[in-house]
Parts: sequence; structure tokens; C-alpha cells
Amino acid sequence: MADIAHSPAALKRAEAEAAAKPRARGASQARRLAGGGLIDRQKPLSFTFDGKRMSGFAGDTLASALLASGVGLVARSFKYHRPRGVLTAGPEEPNALVELRTGARLEPNSKATTVELFDGLVAKSQNRWPSLRHDVGAVNGALSPLFVVGFYYKTFMWPPKAWEKLYEPAIRRAAGLGSASGVPDPDHYEKAWAHCDLLVVGSGPAGLSAALAAGRAGARVILCENDFMLGGRLLSDAFEIDGRSGAEWAQGAIDELAGMPNVRIMPRTTVFGGYDGGTYGAVERVGDHLPQPSEHQPRQRLWRIVAKRTVDASGAIERPLVFPGNDRPGVMMAGAVRTYLNRFAASPGRRVAVFTNNDDGWRTAQAVLAAGGEIAAVIDPRGVPEAFRMAAAGWRVIEGEVVGTKGTLDALTSVEVADARGGVVTVPCDVLAMSGGWNPAVGLSSFHRGRPVWKDEIAAFVPGKCPTGLTVAGAAKGDLSLGACLQEGFSAGAKAAVEAGLSGSPGEPAQAADEPVAVRALWEVKAPGKAGQKAGQKAFVDFQHDVTADDVRLAQREGFESVEHLKRYTTLGMATDQGKTSNVNGLAILAEAKGEKIPETGTTIYRPPQVPVAIAALAGPNRDEHFHATRLPPSHHWAAKRGAVFVDVGLWKRAQWYPLAHEKDWLESVNREVLAVRNGVGFCDVSTLGKIDVRGRDAGAFLDRVYINTFSSLAVGKARYGVMLREDGFVMDDGTTSRLAEDHYFVTTTTAKAGPVMQHLEFCRQALWPELDVQLASATDQWAQFSVAGLKTRDLLQNLVDPAEDLSNEGFPFMAAREVKLRGGMRARLFRISFSGELAFEIAVPARFGGSLAENLMQAGAAFGVTPYGTEALGTMRIEKGHAAGAELNGWTTAGDLGFGKMMSKKKDFIGRVMAGREELQRPDRPAVVGVKPLNPADRLRGGAHVLPRNAKLGPDTDQGFLTSVCFSPVLGRWIALALVARGRERHGEVVRIYDPLRNGDFEAELCNPVFYDPEGARQRG
Amino acid sequence: MAEFAWDAAPPLGGVFVAGRSGAAAGSPGVRLEERRGLSLVQVMAHRGKWPAVEAAAESLFKAKPPARPAALFADRATLVWSGPGQFLILGAGDGFADPLAPYAQAFREAASLSDQSDGRALIRVSGRHARDTLAKVSSLDLHPAVFPVGAAAATSVDHTNVGLWRAPDAADGAPVFDLLVFRSFAPSLWERLAASGAEYGVDSAAGDFSEAA
Repeated sequence: MADIAHSPAALKRAEAEAAAKPRARGASQARRLAGGGLIDRQKPLSFTFDGKRMSGFAGDTLASALLASGVGLVARSFKYHRPRGVLTAGPEEPNALVELRTGARLEPNSKATTVELFDGLVAKSQNRWPSLRHDVGAVNGALSPLFVVGFYYKTFMWPPKAWEKLYEPAIRRAAGLGSASGVPDPDHYEKAWAHCDLLVVGSGPAGLSAALAAGRAGARVILCENDFMLGGRLLSDAFEIDGRSGAEWAQGAIDELAGMPNVRIMPRTTVFGGYDGGTYGAVERVGDHLPQPSEHQPRQRLWRIVAKRTVDASGAIERPLVFPGNDRPGVMMAGAVRTYLNRFAASPGRRVAVFTNNDDGWRTAQAVLAAGGEIAAVIDPRGVPEAFRMAAAGWRVIEGEVVGTKGTLDALTSVEVADARGGVVTVPCDVLAMSGGWNPAVGLSSFHRGRPVWKDEIAAFVPGKCPTGLTVAGAAKGDLSLGACLQEGFSAGAKAAVEAGLSGSPGEPAQAADEPVAVRALWEVKAPGKAGQKAGQKAFVDFQHDVTADDVRLAQREGFESVEHLKRYTTLGMATDQGKTSNVNGLAILAEAKGEKIPETGTTIYRPPQVPVAIAALAGPNRDEHFHATRLPPSHHWAAKRGAVFVDVGLWKRAQWYPLAHEKDWLESVNREVLAVRNGVGFCDVSTLGKIDVRGRDAGAFLDRVYINTFSSLAVGKARYGVMLREDGFVMDDGTTSRLAEDHYFVTTTTAKAGPVMQHLEFCRQALWPELDVQLASATDQWAQFSVAGLKTRDLLQNLVDPAEDLSNEGFPFMAAREVKLRGGMRARLFRISFSGELAFEIAVPARFGGSLAENLMQAGAAFGVTPYGTEALGTMRIEKGHAAGAELNGWTTAGDLGFGKMMSKKKDFIGRVMAGREELQRPDRPAVVGVKPLNPADRLRGGAHVLPRNAKLGPDTDQGFLTSVCFSPVLGRWIALALVARGRERHGEVVRIYDPLRNGDFEAELCNPVFYDPEGARQRG
Repeated sequence: MAEFAWDAAPPLGGVFVAGRSGAAAGSPGVRLEERRGLSLVQVMAHRGKWPAVEAAAESLFKAKPPARPAALFADRATLVWSGPGQFLILGAGDGFADPLAPYAQAFREAASLSDQSDGRALIRVSGRHARDTLAKVSSLDLHPAVFPVGAAAATSVDHTNVGLWRAPDAADGAPVFDLLVFRSFAPSLWERLAASGAEYGVDSAAGDFSEAA
């Protein structure tokens, strides 16, 4: 039990003591072996852990450098704050989580076993306070009888309101992982695609063999390796392949692959998910091994790899043994001990005891001896396996099980062993290397609802039905021995090449012997009799989430019998290691408790990602101003030069208003722009409206079917307003359509619906009525189209348009549309349509001349005070005119609701006609667009405010609608609104209550004709 | 009344500075070029009139237009498939002359023509790292065996419609890809391409379509 400090002063003292005691051996790599390893001793690296300076070598992981420096205690556990050391040497690590780097690049929950050491690396232990050695939270361990599984659910139930405000924040502070930096990530991230005949996941003996066979045959191969070094277990074990050492053979294979132009080798790349059509997700850690990413390079790159075939050679993960005290620093996976000795030349300890139920554990004893260490004992419930009878001569071998551990905060001193005769002996040692057998890494092969199947021979799950195109080879398939890995990888690679249509020779497979891998399942050591009870130590199943064997049994007793329920109730397997070391042990213990066989209990469902993926990598470059593509209308640069304020309208950046220097707020600018149009002339870029060329002999008939009103009867040279419905009878979109020639209509849509309408029309053309002769082309970006509006519009245009063109009311009447010539030799289209209610034209020139059009309109209208206006003024004028727009065409209004009921032709069929006749859509009390003006002109209306009968009691039952569009009308000198109100059209003149609890609005207003301005429409026809 | 000037603004005018950007070491790995001064006509066959469209195209370009995703490099224009019964004619144009005029007579009975000269921007991506750069924006497999010279695709980049085809290799053997994108999206696409190519070194340039082969 760690110290429990009682006062801030005591805490300070404890911290100071810890800092003042730099352990000398830490700085000197006292546990680095004198020779060997795949580290580069010519490249020493310096780093700090919890502020202490340490050193390592290029080729180290943070974990191996810490071990070489003699650091045993690296972390505190999630719930009980128990001291923990390094358990594994790979991405399955549950214990050694650290905060990496500082400042904005701070990265919590980094697995020290996968962090590639770099010079200047800064790491901190996490989930401890005030320090790793003196952790107040360790009191949770003392109180552990209280902290049983489901403790939070059971305890903090009352009062319900306290959960969110009180309990949850407190629990989150105490139990947890590292902290985020709290500031934006300064690095950038990329996404990329890759394509291949064969994707090989993993570069151990099976993966390298697969890549070699397929590569030699001429296939396009991508080889992904999670580690920064290729070779997998060949880097960790003393193997012999083709008469060479395993590591040498691996290097030869890598050199051969690197020489093939059709092979792409991707180290530091984790394949995390399999998706439809042979697509795999992978993260390439481009700059994680550097203090900061190289200039112009991303920190990480998210790959989508499209593979015709995939060979999953991702190996196997060693299983811990579940016995009392199995989480103490110094207890380590047997395979990891070999990795640290052989690959990193780092000794986790000098006196090593091995506790194993399988042959592979015995190889760790051999490795310890080869590295100059000492075997304290080999403990195996099976006794000495036949294959090791010679090697084990002279070793202390105990046929039995470990039933307890003893040690200090950061080191093991001895283990308690119960032998076969029932005696308990104490075995002094620094390290306990444990092996419970190997679990094939079935993550990738079990996506797409593949269920792994049980294989008694290795006491583990092996892949069942795999995703289409994926085959598994080697240890990942449950064939754990080297010879089998080489052979299977080779065959899978050669087969994939043939299936991809390649006929080159795959060469010959590498040869190696098959080492013994026998195993006898041991799911849990139950301390026998008094010895176990005395020890009273917890036997951990999930190290990261502090789930014990007793927790699993308790959950089962409480009724959580399904593995899926067990997982969620105990959180077993739900930590950042995703239960890679704990899941199988957990469900085996559950199976025993239920009296079932393991395959009957089954596994949880596998879903991507099989390792944690940073959100930043998934976002890629799509963040901040690059969250989505931006569209710029043709006048953008001109408007920017004029100082326009822009607003995002979908993807578009539109000029919202054009402030003048003296104007104090947006409303002043907008009012000026509106009055300038109403009293003179102004123009606005409306190029963002969707434009579609509809061509062909049947264009008119086609439009008759998509619009509620008729277009085949429209004369050439004329424009008409149209409304189209969705198939379900609700309004889809509206806009004006002009007939430019017998077989040429020019359809406009709203800005928001430009894309969907184009899609809809293409669907109609291609799928519904392929018999019609109709052609469609999007012309939205082709034209710079500006609305020119106001009393003086004709005067302005007469300056700009070729004098031969007749713009008089007779020569160019309301709703006329035709091509015209402009001065300066420009061709243009002119449409006499009005959104503002004023005399107005829309003028269109090819988009490249959009900037010039703005300049020329300014020049042509200079004498009339021409004023550019933005979307706010545009919106104000359309509300004054009562035109429905996006807020009213909101997806649940009908043509009738919007006042277009009479436009619905009874002489023809059109999309949505039948469904618009549904009872609900014909209900007399449906909402209708209506105008709203406050009784007191000083009251400010706000969008979204509710409309209720004058003296109604507040409540959802009396709610009759809401304000959809609101503006200040400079013409009327007051706030006005459009609203959707039940039976609104029949209620003009009625006083209602406007209730807006969010913004403290509660006053009376009058419902009125939505056309506030020039209801006769005389101005636009003038 | 004073005369009015009409200046053609290229879609990417003001968006980039010609010259080197990104990694500075070595020769640039990717070249981005805006190809300006475009005439672009979309030809859409009338129902049942594809044979007549082929005949009209042959009379104009001495080549049949592509009937499947492909780009064809004829004497005076590039023809790119854009959908069933549809293709694009790319040529040079100043925006003043009606781009439909040269073709209207030939296709009069066979197809509808839509002027897209100002609706699109054309970006050429070339250089030894052109494929690496495009792999960051496009899901297509551009391996030479899969996407040879003349291959074309109607695809999407960053949720934006893009027409992409492979033009003849550059003199140094490096691949050349053309991307046709809606004009309003062009600045965003250019910036994404420049950022994607930054690690290889980017050479940005503007060129007239008429100057290119």
C-alpha cells in the first residue's frame, strides 16, 4: 500500500523526496546487456520520464529504454491505482500508458511498448497524484471491497440529479487515463488511397513469405507492419531459417522486397479495420517517431487500401496467466521477456522465474540463460515437457502453479508456488515470466460478423469465416510454429498472385523446423486452501480496467451471463488495449462459472477499429477552414476588395452586406442597402442559385411532369415561376424557368437545392422516363448572374446594354427572357424577374466576366447611386414581399401551405400529385404562410418564436405555429415576420400571442397578409 | 457613354502564386498548372441519335468520340467522355465568341450542346510524384496498368464532382493528369492539391489551353 498523505504539506514533502532521489542506475542503462540486440549503440538518445533524464538507443521503444534504465514502476492502474510495470512488448499493452510530449502535442494514453524512442522525448506517468510513487488514489485499492464490479451503478443512484453534477465528475477525476492538452493539435493529418493485388498485414515469417511469393510472381503488394521494424517475432526469437538466423533471413527478405517496384513496404502502419469490397483502413504514423513532424509532412496518414486479396499474418498475442498477485511490476509476459532480451538487449531482471502452461514459455528460460541471466525456477503444472527434458537438466523445475507474489512498489522479490504435492514454496526472483499460451490475433479476420472458432489443440480461438478475399496465415491462424508460418504465408501469397491473374514464379518457400508448441489450458490459478486465503491477493484478468476473476464471477452471479453483457457490466476488454490480453481469459472464467464449454460461451462481436485511432487521423485535412470545400461566386474577389462581409451559405461564401466606414452595425448597412434599392437601384450576385440547361424535343413535357404547373405552354422568350414536389407530396423546391428556344429551357433552383434538384431530374430522366428525349446539363457555375433591382434599373441597364435592344415595358415586359448584346462586345442573357418586388432584371454573362460585370454595373449606375447589396438586404426585401424561401420550403410544407395550392394543375400528372392528396396533407388546419407584425412597433420579433392564441394557456397543446423568417423592414420602420400558423390564411387581422421563452419574448402581434410591400405588385411590373 | 471593358478572370486568378512551394530540396516532385482560356462544350446525344453524333464528331475531329470513360486527343480538341451518350469538347476560347458556334451546325440534328466554358476549371497535375499527390485526394487506382494514357473517369474529390483523365506523358516520362472541376470549387481543389503535393515540392504555373499540346 502506498503512502496516504494527510495534508498538503505531507504531499509536498513526498513529492520533493521523490524528485531528490534520482536512481543512479536509471541514468546509466544499468540493465542494458553488453552486446546483442537490434538497437543502434552508435546513436544514443536522451529522454525524460517524470522529469528524470534517461538515455536509450535508436531502435528502442520507450518501454525497452525504461527497462534498460531499471525502471520497474511505470504506471498506476485505472480503478485501484495499483502500481504497474511493463507487461508486454507490443500494442496489446494494458499497463504502461504514459503521457507523451508536452504542450499542444501532449498525447495521453500512449503505450510505452509501441512508442519509438527519439532524442528529447518527454514522457510522464498518468492517473496518479501527486506522483507515481506516492499516489493518493491508491486508497481505492484499500477500499476495493467497496469498488466491486458495477459499484458505480449500484452506489451513485440517488438522488438521480446528483449523478451528472456531483458523482460523475468526481469519479472521472479519480478513475481515469491521461489528460488531453486542451489546445488545438498543431500538426496536420492526411488521408490517402492505395490499391493492390495483395495486402499483407504483418511482416513476421508468414507475412514476409506471403509478400515474397506474391511479389516475385509480379503482383502489386502492400506490406503493412505496425512496428517501426519489420520481422515480427523473428526479431525476438532465436530462430533458424534456411541455415541463417531468423533476423538475418528477415533482413534478406526485406532487401529482396525493397528491390521490387511492385511492392510497397509500409512500416509504422497499423491496419485497423476491414470494410466492404476488400477495403481496409490503416494509419501510417509518419511523424510520431519524431519530436515534431518534418516540414510539409503530416503527423499521421489515414490510408484506405483497396485490395483484391488480403493475407492476414498479424500473428498471435500471448495470454497472461490469472493467479493471485499477477499484476505486480516484475510480472511480465514470457514472450515479451525474450523480446526485451533479444531485440532490445534490455534485461527486465537478472533472476527470472518462468510460469508457463505451454512449451513456448520454456524458450524464455533458454533465452534468459543465453543472455547471461539466471533461472530461479520454471513452474509448469504439466511438469517438464518431453521436448525440454535435456535443456532443463539442472534447472529448478516445479510442477505446480504460482499462487502469490511479493515485492516492493517497483520490483518483484519472490513468488509463492504451490507444488503438485500441496506444498507452498517461496521462490526469490526479480522477474516472473508468464505464459498462458498464445491467442491468434483474430481481430481483422473476425470483422464482417465472422465468429472465431475454438481450437482445443492450442486452447484458443482461431479465425472462422473470414471477410471475402481475406485468408489468414501462420500464427494468426493458430499455426504457431515457424515452419508452418513460412509455408502458409508462402502458399497464401502465391495463391493470391494467381487469383489476381499473375503468372510469374513465386520462387521457393523458406524452410525451418517446427518448434514444439504444446499447451494445456490453465484459465485461473485458485490459491489452494489456507495459502491462498492468507495471501488474499487479487487475480487480475483485465489489467487496464482492473477487472479480477472474482469480478467476472460476481457479474455472472448477478445475471450478466452473456459475454456481451459481461463486457459492458464489468468493462472487461473495453479499455484502450481492447482486451487483447484479457478477453479470452475472461470468457473462459465466465464459461467455468456457468458450467459451459468455452465455445458455448462464445466471443463478443469484433468491430473496427481493432486498435485505437486518433480522431485527428480520421478527420484528416478536413478541419477548421478546410472542414469542407468552399465555393466562391464570380463576384467574390470584387466583393472582397469592397470590404464585403461574407456568410457561409452551404458551401458558398456570399456577400452578406457591404459595410461603409461610418456604419455602426450590420442593421444600418442592410437598411441602407434596402432603401437604396427601393428608392434607386442596386445589384446582388445571385449566381449561387442552381441553373440547369434542360434540352431536347421533350423538354417541355419533362418539366410538366416534375413541376406542379405547366411549362410546355410557356412561350419562347418567357419566364415562369414553378414549384416542384417530392414524390411524397411535400414541396421540394421552387424557382423560375425560362424558355430560351423551342427545345431549350433554363431552370433555376434555390441555392440550397441546386445539387439535389439536379440529381432528382437526372433520376427522372434516366430511370423514370428514359423514353423522353431530354438532356440535362448543370450550368450553375457557367454564368455570373446578378439581380439588378430598383426604380432606376432600366436607366442603368440602358447604359450597359447595346442601344439596339429595347428594354421598354413593351419591348421587354415582366417575365420576359432573352439573349442581349452588351456594350464592349459582351453576350449576355437578360431575365425580367423580380424577387425584391421592384422593377428588376437578372443579367447573366459568362462567369469569367463576373468581376467585370460588377465593375460595369457600378459604372453604368454611378449617376443613379447604384448600390451593391448582400444576402441580408435580399432576404429583407423578399420577406417584405412575402416570398417563401428556405425557412418556409423546409421539407414539411405543402404547396397549399405556401399558398401555391391553386398552381397545382388538374389537367396533368406530376411527381407528388397523388401523395399530396393524402388526408393529412389536405387537413384544413394545416400551417399556412402568414405575415406577423407586433402591435407595439417597438417589439422585436425573433425567428423560432411560438404563435399562440391571444389568451391561451402556454403549452404544446395551444401552440399554433412559429415565426420562420424575421427582418427589420426599413420601409415599414418595424420588425416583421413570416410565420407558419395553423389556418393562417383565414386569420389575417387576428391578434395572437408571440411567445419566445429562450429570449424572453412575450407580446401580442397581428397576423396579416404576408405581402407587406406593394401587395398589388405594381412596382415590379412598371 | 463610356465603353465598358470586359476582362476575363481565370477561375484560379489570385488563388496561387506561380513558382515553387512546399519542400524546397531537389527538383519539384509535382507540377500544378491552371490551363486557362478554355472553350468547353458538352455534347448530349438526342435519344437514339448516337450514330449521328459519331458521324458529326468524325467530320469535325476525324475521330469517333469516346463512348466509354476515356479521353481522346484529336488535332484541334480533346474529347472526354462525360456520361452515357455524352462527351465534352475541350478547345481554346476567349469567352467572347460563342463556344457553341463552331459545332452547332454539325450536331444540329443529333445532339444538344451546352456551353460549359466558364462552368469549369482545368487543372493539370504532372511530375514524378503526380500519382502520390492525387492518391491523397482521389480514390481512383491510377497505376499505369490500370489507368493508361487516355483513361478517364467521372469521379469525386472532397465531395466535389471532378472529371479526371490521363494525358500523354511529359517529355521526361512523368505522368500527366487533367482534372476538370466546377469553377466555384476550383480554389478549394487547388489548395488541397498544393497541400497534398507540398512534401514533394510543388511548381505552380498558369498556362493557356491553346499553348498546350
